This record gives sequence, C-alpha cells and structure tokens, in this order.
Amino acid sequence: MSEKLYRWLLRLYPSHFRHAYGDAALQLFRDRSRHERGFFPALRLWLDLLADLVVSVPRQYRRVQPALSGASALRSAAGTPSFYLLDNQPPRAGALLLGAVLSLAGAAASIPLSHLPIYRPFATPSILVPSAPGPAATGVRLDNAERRRVIHSVVANLKEHYVDPAVAREMQEGLLARDKAGDYQASEDGTAFAALLTRHLREVSHDLHLEVVYSRNMLPEISAGPSPERIAAYRNAMLARNCTFESVRILPHNIGYLKLNSFPEPSICGTIAKSAMDSLNRSDALIFDLRDNRGGDPAMVMLIAAYLFDHPEFMYRPGRTTPLCWTESPVPGNLLAHKPVYVLTSSRTCSAAEHFSYDLKMLKRATLVGERTAGATDVGVFHRLDDHFGIGIREFKSINPYSQPDWAVTGVQPDVKVPAADALVTAEKLAQTNVRK
Amino acid sequence: MPKQKLHPLPSAAFQILLSLAGEDLHGYGIMRQVAEQTGGRMRLGPGTLYSSLQTLLEEKLIAELDLRADEKLGNERRRYYRLTSAGRKVARSEAERLAGLLRVARNKKIWRGDYV
Repeated sequence: MSEKLYRWLLRLYPSHFRHAYGDAALQLFRDRSRHERGFFPALRLWLDLLADLVVSVPRQYRRVQPALSGASALRSAAGTPSFYLLDNQPPRAGALLLGAVLSLAGAAASIPLSHLPIYRPFATPSILVPSAPGPAATGVRLDNAERRRVIHSVVANLKEHYVDPAVAREMQEGLLARDKAGDYQASEDGTAFAALLTRHLREVSHDLHLEVVYSRNMLPEISAGPSPERIAAYRNAMLARNCTFESVRILPHNIGYLKLNSFPEPSICGTIAKSAMDSLNRSDALIFDLRDNRGGDPAMVMLIAAYLFDHPEFMYRPGRTTPLCWTESPVPGNLLAHKPVYVLTSSRTCSAAEHFSYDLKMLKRATLVGERTAGATDVGVFHRLDDHFGIGIREFKSINPYSQPDWAVTGVQPDVKVPAADALVTAEKLAQTNVRK
Repeated sequence: MPKQKLHPLPSAAFQILLSLAGEDLHGYGIMRQVAEQTGGRMRLGPGTLYSSLQTLLEEKLIAELDLRADEKLGNERRRYYRLTSAGRKVARSEAERLAGLLRVARNKKIWRGDYV
C-alpha cells in the first residue's frame, strides 16, 4: 500500500524526471522501507519523503529546458488547447497540494486507466479500422445490392476526387465492365471484396495509395470530425500511457534510447515529446525504437524529426506537398542535429513510423536496423462509401524525390537486416563503434 | 545545464561526490554512504538524490555504469555510478575552499580545530 502511495506521489514530478528516474526512485523507496521497519523508522522515512518532495519537486520544475524555452508555439491541428506550458512552469503551491490530494484519491479509487482505448482520432484512414467505435454489424453476407452500391460509390468518388481524371475514367470503366461480367458476384465477404476492388483499381492506376477498406463495425460519420467525447477519451488514454513514450533513457556509452509506440497528436503530447527529446539532448548517438510503433499523426513525425537537422529539411510524404512537409529545424538549444541516428524496425512497424523511417533513410540521416516494415498504405483523404466500406484517395499529386518506392504495400527495407528481437543489441554495437571514432 | 548550477557546489552534490570517492555505488548505496559520512544528519530522499545525480551526470562529474545486481540486496538490477576525474577535481577544490574557510575561522578564533 505504501509503495502504491509513493508511486502516486511520484506523479507530482515532471514527466522528464519520472521517465529518467521514476523506477530508480521507487527502488530506493523499496530499499528504505525494507530496512527501516517499525513505527519510528517508518515515520522518519515518510517525514523524509515528504520533506524531499517539498524541496525537489519545485526544483525539477524550475530546471530550464533550452529547447522549450525558445521554441515557437505548437501547431494545434484540431483546434484543441495546447498543453505546451503544462510541464515547464513551476507549479503554484495550491496546485501541488491539489496534486497530492488527487494522487491520494486516485490511489484509493484505483481507477484502471490503462484499459482505456487508444485510437487516433485525427489520422484519416486509421479511424476506420475495426477498433473504431460504432454499432456492431449484424454479420450478414454481402448481397448483390450492397456490392453494386459500393461499386457505384467507388466510381462516383474516383470521378470527383481522383487526382488524374483520365486514369480515374479508366478505373471506372474497368470496374463497371467487371461488374457487368459478373466478376464480383462470388464476393460475399466484405474484406475479400474490398481487397478485390483495391487490386483491380491498382492494376489500372498502379497507385499503391489507393485502397478500398471494409470495417465489420459500422463506420462513424467522419464528415463531422471526432466527437468531443472521443477527443477527451483519446487525450486521457494518451496521458495515462505517457503518450506511448514507453522508454526514454541513456544507455551505456551515452547512447540515447527512445522507445515510441505511436506518433501521438502533438497538441496533446507535444510537451511529453519535447521533454523526451530534451532529456536525450546530450547523447552522443540516438536509437529510436519503433519496433512496436503502429503509426499515428504525421505532425508528430515532423516534430521529432526537427531535432535531427540544423536546417529545415523536406520530409516526403505521399499526397502532401504543403509547407507542413518541412521540419521546423533548427530547434533552439538542440544538440542532436549531427549525432548518429539508428531506427529499429520490425514487421509491425507501421504507417507514420514508416514515414519517419523511410524519410530518414532516404535523407541518409539514420541507419535502419531490424526487419522490413509492414507496408501500410497512406491513402490520403478517406471517403465513406456506405456504412461498412470506405475508400482512401490521394487528392494531391506529389512526386517522390527518391528513386526507391515509398513504403506503401512493400514496406521500408532496413539498412542492417536482423531479426527484430536482435535489433537493439545490433544498433547499440553500431552506435558504440560510431561514437568511439 | 548551465555551469552555474554547481557553483557553489550544493551540499548534497558534494556529499554524493565524496560518497563515490571510495567505490562505485548505486542510488541506495549512495544514500546510505552519505548518511554514514554525515553521522545520520543527511538522509537523501529519492527526489533530491536523483535530481543531484542528474545534474552531476550532465556536468560529467559522475558517470553511469551498467545495470547490475547488488548481492546484499537481492536480484534486482541497479544502476551504479562512478566518480569521474573531473568530479574528483571538483570535490577536491570544494574541500580546499572549505579548508580555506576553516583557516579564516581559526584565525578569527571562532573555531579551534587542529587539522587545517
């Protein structure tokens, strides 16, 4: 119980301190409680701890983080309020007291925060995957009417949105001809039908970013955008999980290590991301562990990539040619722009994590170590076809500046191919050799 | 981290440097050593201890070693810390500064110690 209480009190410290020393502080607490048994020693221990909190918490908040103090305001794509200053201002005495009270109340209630769902309300295609909430499907097989409705909706959307009208027309004609010939009549399964349509569209267009998807659950109406409840649930889930920054630490030989399991929304997670990068600022090399990263928001890709350059750098992304493709480098106070970078990948590394890996590889800014990535399709803008089908269409033509195809379908090949489980050890060795030079 | 952070050297940071002068220690080891060398007057709490370690690491006055278990404390692996030569130099100059103060105190007949 007392350990649980101390764990909660540790939450009063800013996140950069908790990441770096939270576990060690807890271990120290355990050691002391083991050796200081009995009423008076335990009382002295708690008095020590409370005095320690009073002295050290404000000191941690006062620690100046150069990159943050001079950085520009965060972009807030969804119009949600910025949390930019939350972790970097000394808390008022009242706030500290309130934090302590809330910690105690939280410990007592033992709310299972970790069971909240994680999803990405701002990423267009991923909102469709079956994890998206919505009324469950009844499980009926596809009938002729639904197939026809989907095909006609695909045709209409291509006509309206596809970047090249001539190719769009060719695809429309192809689909209608196949439908007329009865090619789709055997498709009773939604996923298989969507895959078949995707294949036929790609055969004509050779566009790997075009994709028809099926969701067993009813698709939410996306025109209205995510509801406030979904944004709030997403924010709570992200903050409860430290925005999926699973580990931020310094490995032996002063190698910075960041394990990131998604690229979360910067207006919610920007502060945590900046703290994480700041805590690695004096590393001699960096390892980004994206082996369990399932993607997320491209804005977070850009935010983190900004630390790796001393000048604005173009990060290619299919379907986007806006200024948002340039990193906001240099980041004030940043020392990482010329440090060697290693990115760990696996066959589960997906979507935004592939965007990060692909561009850093092509820019020769990082060495990729691990397995070929998943090959997720960045489909651009999503259009709802009916309650269960949707199509992702790139509405902008962007030219890939590199000779290698991007990550769609084929994935990103690592520079050093090793099983994902061995990637960290391999990258550490490479980094150590590089640092010694 | 600006250099001024350690000028003058905070008392906790000086005690930590002294505790590491003899051997490499983990966090709890440092805490105990500091308590011992101050006759129990300074018991570093986790927040103060790790804040100080963080600053000392940033100033390269101490170095982190690999994780390893302390047999006396069980199987849990712990991060050990070592005094660097820069750290030893800073501790020595702090000791000299204090020695100078004591000389003044003795000359002013405020203190009658023999050692300085």
